[in-house]
Amino acid sequence: MAVERRDILLGLAGASLAAPMVQAQRTGRTLLLAAPAAPEGFEGDALRPGTQEVVVQVYEGLTRYGRTVREGRDYLDPNVIEGHLAESWTSSPDGKTWVFTLRRGVRSAFGNELTAADVEWGWQKSLAQRRTGNFIATVANVTGVKALSQYQVEFTLSAPSLILLAALTLYVPGIYDMTEVKRHVTAEDPWALKWMETNTAGFGAYHLESVRAGEQAVFVSNPNYFRDQPFFNRVILRAVPSAASRITLLRSGQVQWIHRPFLQQVAELRADRRVKTQDSFGRSMASVRMNLRYPPFGDVKVRQAFNYAIDKNALIQGVFFGLAEQARSIIPPIVAGYDPSFSRYDHDPARALALLAEANFDFNQQVDLLYSQIFNWEEPLSIQLAAQLQSIGIKARAARISDSDMRARGAPARQDMPFFSFEDGPIVLDPVYTTFLLAHSQGVSNRARFADPRMDALIDEARQSLDVPHRNGLMRQAQALWMEEAPWIATVYPSVWEAMAANISGWCPHPDDHERWVDLKIA
Amino acid sequence: MTAIAWPRLVGISRRSPTLAIGFLILLGFAAMAVLAPFIVPFDPVRAQPFNVLAAPGGAHPFGTDGNGMDVLSRVIAGAAWAFGIAIPAVVVGIVVGVPFGLYTGYRGGWFDEVAMRFFDALRVFPSIILALAVVAAAGPSLFNVVLVIGLLDSPVFARVVRAEVLALRHSGFVESARAAGNPTWRILFVHILPNAIQGAMAQAAVRAAWAVRISATLAFLGVGIQPPTPEWGAMIRQGAEYLVTGQWWVGVFPGIALILMVLGLNMLGDGLQDLLDPRRKAATR
Amino acid sequence: MPIGGLLLRRVALVVPLLFVILLGTFLLVRISGQDPVGLLAGPTATTAEIALVRESLALDQPAWVQFGVYIGRVARGDLGASWLSNRPVLAEILDRAPATLELIFWGVLIGAGIGIPVGLRAAFRPDRGFDQASRFLSLLGFSVPTYWLGLIMLFVFFYLLDWAPPGMGRISLMLDPPPRVTGSHLIDGLLGGDREVVGSAFAQLVLPVLCVAIISAAPIVKQTRAIALEVLATDYIRHARAQGLPPRQIRAMALRNSATPIVTFIGTEITGLVGTTSLIEYVFAWGGLGQYGLSAIIAGDFAAVQGYVLILALFSVLVFLAVDVFVMATDPRA
Repeated sequence: MAVERRDILLGLAGASLAAPMVQAQRTGRTLLLAAPAAPEGFEGDALRPGTQEVVVQVYEGLTRYGRTVREGRDYLDPNVIEGHLAESWTSSPDGKTWVFTLRRGVRSAFGNELTAADVEWGWQKSLAQRRTGNFIATVANVTGVKALSQYQVEFTLSAPSLILLAALTLYVPGIYDMTEVKRHVTAEDPWALKWMETNTAGFGAYHLESVRAGEQAVFVSNPNYFRDQPFFNRVILRAVPSAASRITLLRSGQVQWIHRPFLQQVAELRADRRVKTQDSFGRSMASVRMNLRYPPFGDVKVRQAFNYAIDKNALIQGVFFGLAEQARSIIPPIVAGYDPSFSRYDHDPARALALLAEANFDFNQQVDLLYSQIFNWEEPLSIQLAAQLQSIGIKARAARISDSDMRARGAPARQDMPFFSFEDGPIVLDPVYTTFLLAHSQGVSNRARFADPRMDALIDEARQSLDVPHRNGLMRQAQALWMEEAPWIATVYPSVWEAMAANISGWCPHPDDHERWVDLKIA
Repeated sequence: MTAIAWPRLVGISRRSPTLAIGFLILLGFAAMAVLAPFIVPFDPVRAQPFNVLAAPGGAHPFGTDGNGMDVLSRVIAGAAWAFGIAIPAVVVGIVVGVPFGLYTGYRGGWFDEVAMRFFDALRVFPSIILALAVVAAAGPSLFNVVLVIGLLDSPVFARVVRAEVLALRHSGFVESARAAGNPTWRILFVHILPNAIQGAMAQAAVRAAWAVRISATLAFLGVGIQPPTPEWGAMIRQGAEYLVTGQWWVGVFPGIALILMVLGLNMLGDGLQDLLDPRRKAATR
Repeated sequence: MPIGGLLLRRVALVVPLLFVILLGTFLLVRISGQDPVGLLAGPTATTAEIALVRESLALDQPAWVQFGVYIGRVARGDLGASWLSNRPVLAEILDRAPATLELIFWGVLIGAGIGIPVGLRAAFRPDRGFDQASRFLSLLGFSVPTYWLGLIMLFVFFYLLDWAPPGMGRISLMLDPPPRVTGSHLIDGLLGGDREVVGSAFAQLVLPVLCVAIISAAPIVKQTRAIALEVLATDYIRHARAQGLPPRQIRAMALRNSATPIVTFIGTEITGLVGTTSLIEYVFAWGGLGQYGLSAIIAGDFAAVQGYVLILALFSVLVFLAVDVFVMATDPRA
């Protein structure tokens, strides 16, 4: 009976109700990718949802990390930095002047050759916009960039920096094909930001062919790319908002890559032979932050007590399905200089209560833990964490705010949330970069503005030091101080999973958690 | 129930089985809401991190959700939340709408014309979108949810009452009350209201059904009552995430509870309207 | 002409209504208490940049000035830009409107195709088994949460049975949408003669249209029955009955007299359906106007919410005018 009804329905629909599998042939060397949203911008200085995923494919750095192979998989080697768009470089004895010599014959998709003026223009743009790129410049002590000749570009630093070469691996400040971009400059828009909302002009492996707002973006390989042509000459990124649908598309072979499956889906995917899942180090902490400028978090004893009150193993199981690692430092384990020895907040409710008593904690006050939907783990983590606080008598409650509210209120201009969840991690695998980003009073991801002069002093000194052991010593002190001051509830580093078609290979994890399409191939 | 009430109830249920069934369903939910603290097998908001997404069976007949909370307990506890929103919302609607309907119907003229046009627009404007937008703007507290639903309900009550007032305005007893020198408010509330309120009462059940639906929708979209509160809409929201990976129980059970409760209220309202007005004017929704 | 005069009066009444709507949408952003400046200026903006953005939005002016600026902008067809994507709201809405209208059109067509005959049959034989059953089903239709229905349909027809495609838009991911003519992938695909596109667009339409049809049929059944019962109770029909006309002729008369109020009702129902459909769009990731509005509401993008609510209100007003005109044109008494 059921079979008959099925036939009727199928007949009605011309047998095309189910996924059209035949078309898989037609795609050829096209990589079809399902992401939660289509990119809302293509400009690395003003990160919008989905921007970072794609600008890394288009804008490549003067330098790049070396690679190593472990157990048949490619990994970056954070200890080796080699030339990329730059061929070689020299630095002055005081470490404040660097001259990079560009590789010759590097061309954009528009056919223009990379020159030192392009590098200078990109940095001027970032410095003028005072956003992401400007932060990178600050953390690397860069104060000026100048073209010396067609292929030579000079970086001026306020102080020596061990971060500079690693920072130059990044997509921002971007190296734009200035010749093309300048065609689209207007009087009100000297950096052609309007044009960049729907266009790209980089020297990297891909460039944007077309974009349909909110739906999809199509990239094609740069025909003039200076390295080997990528395996996939076309990448179609489609917005599929539902995580469940993304998984279904992958399993049915309709897409070859999906962005960040939820951890609850990973277990299911790992059992599916049509699909390949691979993990990599977790670099961002799924953290809960306390704002020292709002009671009761001004008192260090309260912050420590909140840390003791939380059972991290329960969170790892109940929120992350076992796929996470307890956070034992502000610096993630993947970064050299990570020191877990100061970690001391294992679950200890008695200790928490004792500290709260010492702090004269008012158990009648309502403590709202704000969370958003930006990260999938936020809701369960906030609910379960609030429940754990309730179990020692704290009136904690998880309260959702909108994603835009979360971003706006965490921005440096506001930072008025007393207690909230967020995920941040360094995109430069360096301890000083990490602490500057997350714990320095000027760090852009220090969203509860933890501002401790002792911490700032340690980081500032380390930023200007070329003496590696001394720098590491300062970072150890910073990690100890951070643990002692406990501005965050140190929760976990969730591991990062990628899910792809079974025949895709070549994925190499990058510190920004975005795959490079140029790495991928079918084999 | 008194001895006199019983035969009447039996009579009513014979005349309108819809009303009787609706009443019984609601009685069931009311019992659930009142007795919830005594009959739930688990604390509905207790997270069990080592037992998330357990399938129905054993200690958890409806399974556990994404936080390891017992779905059966949450479905039971949800009844109190549904009543807790619907009843005050309808009260707000009546308290605001009925006096307004009385006044505008009695006064008539341009005031009445403008008010009715305004209500016309409000009534057919997608109320769900209006409710969502306003609650999202005002913030998702219980108070705001109740207030917004109640205010959006008030035009319905105003219209019903106004229609009755128009019919009664020139009736003998109102004319004589006016001739006796009663002030307007006294005529409205003492003389007209008792005769005009019946229609509003029948509407109350239908509007309560709407209130339950809207508040669940708000929570489903993440704009209303917040998790981990055991609110059915919020539970369906969480369940939606798991429905397509096979953990259907998280969203299906609260959905069934929601349908039953709304159905009960709608049947009650439908039956009441039948009883009060057997011919069923086309104007009522 | 009397109809012309009446119509003019109706149109004149729209003006204060528009004012109220504008005031409402303006206040919506104000009660949200959200400051878009931080969002628009970006996470690393300086205080000076923030002040500049504030000035450009006239947010440093008193509220009544801001309201004036808002009315002026709307009058010029400028609904502002999304706080999140910075794209113009009006263009985004117009781009998505055909998808929503397509869903509502097919849904209401099927809903009315089922609802009207059922309601008439119930009215012709009131209180029989068919009437009772249809009333119960209609009440059930009123009671099922729209989004839950959509979710269950996906669970059953996609996850369990694999008969339907997953709910993710209007066309298979493997296909490029057809060149835009009407904005409906189904019709544009037919015009372009691309069978694959037509098949996929049809397959994607089935479940959401079914949901809209079920949701819209419930009130149509109820209202058709009520209207027909009322018509059957008029002196005119009673007179015809007393004269011994055959039941078929009586029904035909009743049908003729019910047609106008039924069509009127369906017209007004469409305005409400724009709201209900948005939930279906949300569940099926339909990518229409409704999903745009709901996503904006959820994300707290009140510039987009404001534009969306305004457009819906204008749409309602237009539908009302159209219904009024229809009633006047068909009512012999006017």
